[in-house]
Amino acid sequence: MIRTTTVRSGRARALRHVAMVLGSVIGILALAAWTSRAEAHHSFSVFDMTTSKDLEGEVVEFQWTNPHTWTWIDVTNADGSKTRWGLEGMSPNYLGRRGWSKNTFMPGDKIKVVIWPLKSGEPGGTLQRATLPDGSEVVNFGRGPAG
Amino acid sequence: MLRHYCRSLAPLAALLAATTAAAQSSPQGDTWESIAKLPELVGLWEVTFGGGPRGAGEPPAFTAPYAARLQEYQAATARGEIEDGPAANCVPNGMPSIMTQPYPIEILLTPGKVSILIEAYSQWRQIFTDGREHPEDPDLTFNGHSIGHWEGDTLVVDTVGFTTDTSLGGGGMRHSDKMRIVERFRLAAPDRLEVETTITDPEALTKPWTRMSAYARHRDWTLAEYVCQQNNRNFTTDDGKSGINLEFEVQQ
Repeated sequence: MIRTTTVRSGRARALRHVAMVLGSVIGILALAAWTSRAEAHHSFSVFDMTTSKDLEGEVVEFQWTNPHTWTWIDVTNADGSKTRWGLEGMSPNYLGRRGWSKNTFMPGDKIKVVIWPLKSGEPGGTLQRATLPDGSEVVNFGRGPAG
Repeated sequence: MLRHYCRSLAPLAALLAATTAAAQSSPQGDTWESIAKLPELVGLWEVTFGGGPRGAGEPPAFTAPYAARLQEYQAATARGEIEDGPAANCVPNGMPSIMTQPYPIEILLTPGKVSILIEAYSQWRQIFTDGREHPEDPDLTFNGHSIGHWEGDTLVVDTVGFTTDTSLGGGGMRHSDKMRIVERFRLAAPDRLEVETTITDPEALTKPWTRMSAYARHRDWTLAEYVCQQNNRNFTTDDGKSGINLEFEVQQ
């Protein structure tokens, strides 16, 4: 996968910021809608939606696929071992209209994420938001940077 | 004198009658010329969050056997026995839920037919506006057989022939193959589409169930591909247990 050149002009940054803020607002509304209309694709019964978990890891692959994006990160544990976490996100169709692209996370990127973990205790969850290497934040859904 | 007027008006009356008959035999939307005069339903729309079917509306009034099925489903859900439905396995929702997914739809008008392209699960509906009737014994499908006509600025769509595999919305809300759905599509504003959906079912419902949904126009969007089987890691077992597949496989 090749990272497309990111335009770092002020205007592009501003647009990106607007898109992200807008994305987070829509995300909050969407979460309310999705959780109240579970049949949209699947219910959230496998996730513990009452517990937020923070992780820091290195992106293995960002899968820009339907019906969900999947972010795979390797997280280094306290004992030095590594665990690969799989994080479900909104679809490319949904995120693509709200400021994301297939290059939002690139292999090797060190990112911080906030997730709702799987109830089973397996290394997976649903993504709430992530902090990119440049410090900017992207919101999958749920509480945005302002909230 | 009066008789003279009547005689002279007779050809005009005959012409009027003929014109009316012609208008009746040629439904609105049957030619490109008549489509051009219709409200601009053509375009890309996404259901708006809040209000409409997503808000609290009056629940459907089920007959005793269907109310019992719903209660049974809700009790099994409360006991943790049922966690999810078939959509987690990429089975499309069918009507009416397929119309209110959190993805856009695109409406196209061609002579004699209104088509609705539905991004979610890559579905489509075709609504015949050429004056044809439903088949006498329609095949039972997820989205049914639709015929439509215009009443002024409102497109009225009548749909029958549904498989009973689908639900009315929430899990456990079932319907029979006698379900009939009437939708009234109307532009409330140039960029706001409102659809009133009325569901009748002599076996499942004791009275018609009506709800409103609203859609916002997105002129700068295009439909995107949605192949649910591409990387679906969610699943529901036949008895309703849900799960997730965490086995990493490289996609690219």
